[in-house]
Amino acid sequence: MATKQVRYEALVKALHADLYRYGYWLCHDKHIAEDLVQETFLRAWRALDSLKDEKAAKSWLITILRRENARRFERKRFDMSEYEEATITDVKTISSEQDIENHWLREKIAQLPEEYREPLVLQVIGGFSGEEIASMLSLNKNTVMTRLFRARNQLKEAVDSEPTLRGLHNG
Amino acid sequence: MDDLQIRRSILADPKNRDEALNSAIKAEPTKQKFAKEVEALDDNIIRAINVPVPDDLANKLILRQTLASHQQQKRKTRVRLAMAASVAFVMGLTINFMMFSSTYKNLGDYAIAHVNHEAAYFSNDDSPSVTLATLNEKMAVFNGSFDSTFGTLIFADYCRFDGSKSLHLVFQGKSSPVNIFILPNDEDIKFVANFANDKLQGRSLNFNRSNIIVVGDKKEPIAQWQDRVNHNITWSI
Repeated sequence: MATKQVRYEALVKALHADLYRYGYWLCHDKHIAEDLVQETFLRAWRALDSLKDEKAAKSWLITILRRENARRFERKRFDMSEYEEATITDVKTISSEQDIENHWLREKIAQLPEEYREPLVLQVIGGFSGEEIASMLSLNKNTVMTRLFRARNQLKEAVDSEPTLRGLHNG
Repeated sequence: MDDLQIRRSILADPKNRDEALNSAIKAEPTKQKFAKEVEALDDNIIRAINVPVPDDLANKLILRQTLASHQQQKRKTRVRLAMAASVAFVMGLTINFMMFSSTYKNLGDYAIAHVNHEAAYFSNDDSPSVTLATLNEKMAVFNGSFDSTFGTLIFADYCRFDGSKSLHLVFQGKSSPVNIFILPNDEDIKFVANFANDKLQGRSLNFNRSNIIVVGDKKEPIAQWQDRVNHNITWSI
């Protein structure tokens, strides 16, 4: 019992941030993301004995969270249209230039098509390779690489066409 | 590697470049510039994607799990308690069944066992202490009465005869006491007319509602005792 608790707490501490962020990019809502993470870790606790390989923990948790998110749509179908707009309400006051940039870029990322955004988030947050993302999303690797390219390409185009935004051009 | 392919590779995964890609980038300043731009963009993407995480989320997660597993623990305890109770209940039933059910195959076996068990309490020399009136008072339970005590009655009292209430009479015999049991007809235990072991012998008589069993040692004229009982008893129903 004690060792299970210790494992669980280690898992929470190491991975809750990545999981929350991934959840956030799936649903664009801080509160829903938090709920998703809660639900994911509860499920993880119940199935913790089935997790043999600690290295696989991150992709295992992400898989649980994706399923949990899909279940959310099963429960209330009509909420789906809300997320089409991809409006991110950032209640935090934007203070520095960096924050403005982040905020701007976040909106652009949120506006990316779902199928481009998800591989990008997995690559950035999870540090997963093309193959790993491919197996998580049940796609083939070339598709994933293409989507990653398109995602960054769209963001780059957005940045390039935004002359007021500084810092991005000059490296 | 053509231009488009290089651009695609850089954009797809800016952080992981293989040798071929690296040398291709080094060869051309425009590609170097492009690669740098993408790297800078990627740094910003990383910053943007890494949205702030609520401070207390980890603690919340641990707390929620602790509460949930505490609930589960409580439920488990309840289940265990219920199981223990069931086991105790079944054991109680079993013991009850073993104590109060017929353990002997027939009347004879039990009668002999009963006599052997109580042999130490009775001696043939005991003085008669039971009157006819007392005897008949006790016999009333079985709806019967005796006309006389037909012998020297040493003892008469109720006792448990393999789970049913019976009347145990002890008479003075020739060399050892003679035991007579009056017990209700019990379908659980098999009726046998004659029985014996190496020391004792016995006979049973079956009346409407009761059995009368006579047990004595081998020297005793059991048939005669049985006749005496038969002649002296009157059943009220």
